[in-house]
Amino acid sequence: MELINKSRVKSPWLLHYDGSSCNGCDIEVLACLTPIYDVERFGIINTGNPKHADILLITGGVNKKAARVVKNLYEQMPEPKVVVAVGVCACSGGVFHDCYNILGGIDRVIPVDVYVPGCAARPEAIIDGVVRALQVLAAKTDKEAVV
Amino acid sequence: MITGKYLVAVSIWLPVAAALLCWLGQSYSLRNIVSYLTGIILAVCALGLFLSGPFDYQPGEIWGLSWNTAISAADFALLALILYIGWRQRHKLIIILAAIQALLLICFDFGLGGSEIEPVPAFAVDHLAIIMALIINIVGSLICIYGVKYIAEHEEQHPVAKSRQPRFMFWLIIFLGAMNGLVFANNLYWMYFFWEVTTFCSFQLIGHDQSDEAIGNACRALWMNSLGGAAFALGLVILLRYGGGDYLSMQYLLSHHTAAGATGAILLAVSMLVLAGMTKSAQLPFQSWLLGAMVAPTPVSALLHSSTMVKAGVYLILRLAPVYAGTYLSSMTAIAGAFTFLAASVLAISQSNAKRVLAYSTVANLGLIIACAGINTPTAISAAIVLIIFHAVSKGLLFLCTGYVEHEIGSRDIEAMEGLADRLPAAATIFTIGIISMFLPPFGMLVGKWAAIESAAQLPLAAFLLVLASAVTALFWLKWLGRMLEGRPGAIAQREIMDSHYIASLGGLTAAAVLLSIFIGPVVNSMVTPAVTQYYFSPGLEANLETIAAGSGGLFSVWPLFILLALIAVAAGFLYQPRKVKNPPVYLCGENAGLPESTVFMTTGENMGEVKLSNYYFTGFLNEARWSRVVNRVGLIMILLLLGVTLW
Amino acid sequence: MVKALMVVLLVVIMAPLLGGLLTGIDRVLTARMQGRVGPPVLQPFYDVLKLLGKEALAANRRQVAWALGYLVLIIASLALFCLGGDLLIIVFTMAFAAGSFVLGGFSVRSPYSHIGSQRELLQMLAYEPVLILLALGVYLQTGSFMVKDLFHQSQPLLASMPLVFIALLIVLTIKIRKSPFDLATSHHGHQELVKGITTEYSGPYLALIEVTHWYELVLLLGLAAMFWTHPLGAGILLALAAFFIEMVIDNICARLTWNWMIKFTWTGGIILCLINLGVIWVLRAGGV
Repeated sequence: MELINKSRVKSPWLLHYDGSSCNGCDIEVLACLTPIYDVERFGIINTGNPKHADILLITGGVNKKAARVVKNLYEQMPEPKVVVAVGVCACSGGVFHDCYNILGGIDRVIPVDVYVPGCAARPEAIIDGVVRALQVLAAKTDKEAVV
Repeated sequence: MITGKYLVAVSIWLPVAAALLCWLGQSYSLRNIVSYLTGIILAVCALGLFLSGPFDYQPGEIWGLSWNTAISAADFALLALILYIGWRQRHKLIIILAAIQALLLICFDFGLGGSEIEPVPAFAVDHLAIIMALIINIVGSLICIYGVKYIAEHEEQHPVAKSRQPRFMFWLIIFLGAMNGLVFANNLYWMYFFWEVTTFCSFQLIGHDQSDEAIGNACRALWMNSLGGAAFALGLVILLRYGGGDYLSMQYLLSHHTAAGATGAILLAVSMLVLAGMTKSAQLPFQSWLLGAMVAPTPVSALLHSSTMVKAGVYLILRLAPVYAGTYLSSMTAIAGAFTFLAASVLAISQSNAKRVLAYSTVANLGLIIACAGINTPTAISAAIVLIIFHAVSKGLLFLCTGYVEHEIGSRDIEAMEGLADRLPAAATIFTIGIISMFLPPFGMLVGKWAAIESAAQLPLAAFLLVLASAVTALFWLKWLGRMLEGRPGAIAQREIMDSHYIASLGGLTAAAVLLSIFIGPVVNSMVTPAVTQYYFSPGLEANLETIAAGSGGLFSVWPLFILLALIAVAAGFLYQPRKVKNPPVYLCGENAGLPESTVFMTTGENMGEVKLSNYYFTGFLNEARWSRVVNRVGLIMILLLLGVTLW
Repeated sequence: MVKALMVVLLVVIMAPLLGGLLTGIDRVLTARMQGRVGPPVLQPFYDVLKLLGKEALAANRRQVAWALGYLVLIIASLALFCLGGDLLIIVFTMAFAAGSFVLGGFSVRSPYSHIGSQRELLQMLAYEPVLILLALGVYLQTGSFMVKDLFHQSQPLLASMPLVFIALLIVLTIKIRKSPFDLATSHHGHQELVKGITTEYSGPYLALIEVTHWYELVLLLGLAAMFWTHPLGAGILLALAAFFIEMVIDNICARLTWNWMIKFTWTGGIILCLINLGVIWVLRAGGV
């Protein structure tokens, strides 16, 4: 059990979803995968599939259409899981917060564990956010009974 | 052999009597009782034959006439009937071929005095015949039991003015008698008679529904098999003319040419018989009659494909194998068979009609069996016999299950069978066992195929074709099975109620498929090995067959794999406990509509769509009509080469 | 009997450790080839341990059963291989294992796992003939289909079957899911098929499949090692070299379509085998 909990922190697989971002943060997320930042050092893999993911990483605010998608993706992820909101739009809606179609930050739809501000969020900040998310993940597993 | 004699008589005459009873009796309950009783008696008969072992039997006289004369008369009557049918259908080919057969028979009977010559004994029940009898009388009987119920449902769904059920059961049951006669016959002239009876029965059964398509396909089956019949008759004439009366005895032929292969005219006659076997077994380019036969009600297909008809062809070719061993005819037969195996397997990929997939697979597997006969080593011959046994069981099972499913869901299309595992769980389980038993270890078919490829290493071209074909078969079986297993997350399997006829036949065959495979060692030792050793005497053969039975050097045995399969089934129950495991909807890029049907998603403009899935059929590349033309030509060339190398 | 059981036990325990380690090395070397640092060598073990601790999600029991079948049948083939069994039977058991994996993908009404399964079937179609021809080649060369009889050979198989070895490399690319043939399910998420067959597996069930991949890797490298049995060390080096070649191919190739794969294997791979087998056949017939 101890081994599994340790491994959890060493093997975070993430799912990246673009709510309604301007693509600025998305570019920075992708930059994390490049040789300069190389997040695979931490065992991070961009899975593209909620059923394999541990971390849901969302950029951009949530609009009315995306709300259902975000909820679906979150529900399809197996426990334990954490959510990271990347960029100021994902945190609060940002400059789009009073736009006609925007509901606001991600936390309007699903519980968010880590907020990474910035416009766009820098890769260093994103990596830091994910690592903090891992601490949340570890804390969650300590509390929750795992199947 | 006093009991043996009765067993042979019962196996041939009981179906005739039972068939007449069904026809005259006209009532469902009568047909029901008759089919069950006949089935049980025939099965007991076959088991009795198995226990009694090989023997010869010469029937006496009938009303002062020799049986030979009676058979001769019956032959002419049958040909006259076929001629009449040809005339009524305005089918030139049938008329011509029947006329040729009649001429050959006249030549045989009166020109050469064939009707006077009576090779003794008329029936020789050897180990191979006993295996065939077991298949015919057990698998065939189960199909007849199934047929009673099936044809009743069939008429409910396609009402007719006057019930044709009695007629249907008549032909279905009498078929078994004809097949029994065919496999027991030692006198080739008698075998020819039974051969023609099976042709005629299949004509009647294929045309059962009387639609234009059914009649057309029945006529095609008739003319193609008449071509085989003509080749058979020609073979008989040559044998009598150049060999003499003794050569009409299968046993004489075998014992006389076991050491060295036949030559000259005798080989030509044998090649004619092989050609006859190939038409009956629907080898390229004659496969179209068997595919056309799919219009018939499913029990007919099951019977034709598993225990009777097509098996008569491979039986003849296999029986004759020692006679043409070591000749070019043998190698050519192997290559033609292997080519059919490949071509039919490839064509099966393009089919979405379940019965046509099964038909192509039958053609393919018969090709494999014929290839084994052509490879003609003791191991290959045992592989062929193993394949005959297991193919009969598995293919019968698959056809019957397809028929059952067709009545339940109203379609025989593979795409319509999607999600069968939740709709008809029992049928899906039977299908799973049936399909796996067709080509995967540790089931008998695979053991046969394995032995076939191992022995084919002597003959590179045949081996190469077998290798390609073997890879192709997995594709069409698995994609079909995949469609049936598909299910929505968390779907609860429906309850399925099966009629007792179906439970008896499907259950019996499923049990046979599994049990025979588990006990393949005893099956090989007690049935296959004696059948091979009676004509092949080569040192080290015993060791070779032991290898098949017990696995290579004792390392591969089917037991561990069966235990593992059972383990998987049990362990899956522990690994997946419905109460503990959540079933979230499938991943659809998060666009799931949130309905109970977890595969409905939102499309543009707030519309909803449902996931549509379908198999690959490659119809663009694998155009059936175009490729059939191509492979038929190659098949025809192979047949010509086959006859050519004989003459050369 | 006892010895055989010991071998099986050893295989069951050691193969995943070895396979996992090789996978880890693969990930590190791949990262280095791309100018990255890459994950720790033990990363695959962390991944699997994590997956074991996650919530179990599945569509139905048969989906789980087929995944389990994949694992058990691959272990069975590997055990047969290590016991020196019949190559054809090993190939057929591997086919059942791959078929089981395919059926697992088919068991869910998901477009992604469905397309993955269809493609995996095409992959089977592509590599199966090469594997059976490999077995036939071994028979032609040694007169036996048994793996254990290879150890009685004085001359390495590679000397007489170099072209078959190249064909085996193509098979390896397909079987260990490397570009250009990572069509059915790959190590990276892809737009059109997400994760292919494994899309609908998660948590412990996905771990099952990952571990199976390790066993499979060991078995496939074993097939490569078979080409040089004396000394076995040379065979192991040969297998590792083959594995390294696969990594390089993976990193320099884009993914290709299945049409291309079938054309490539059915012409290239099979013709290589045929030429090689033909030469052996002629040499043998010539009594050389």
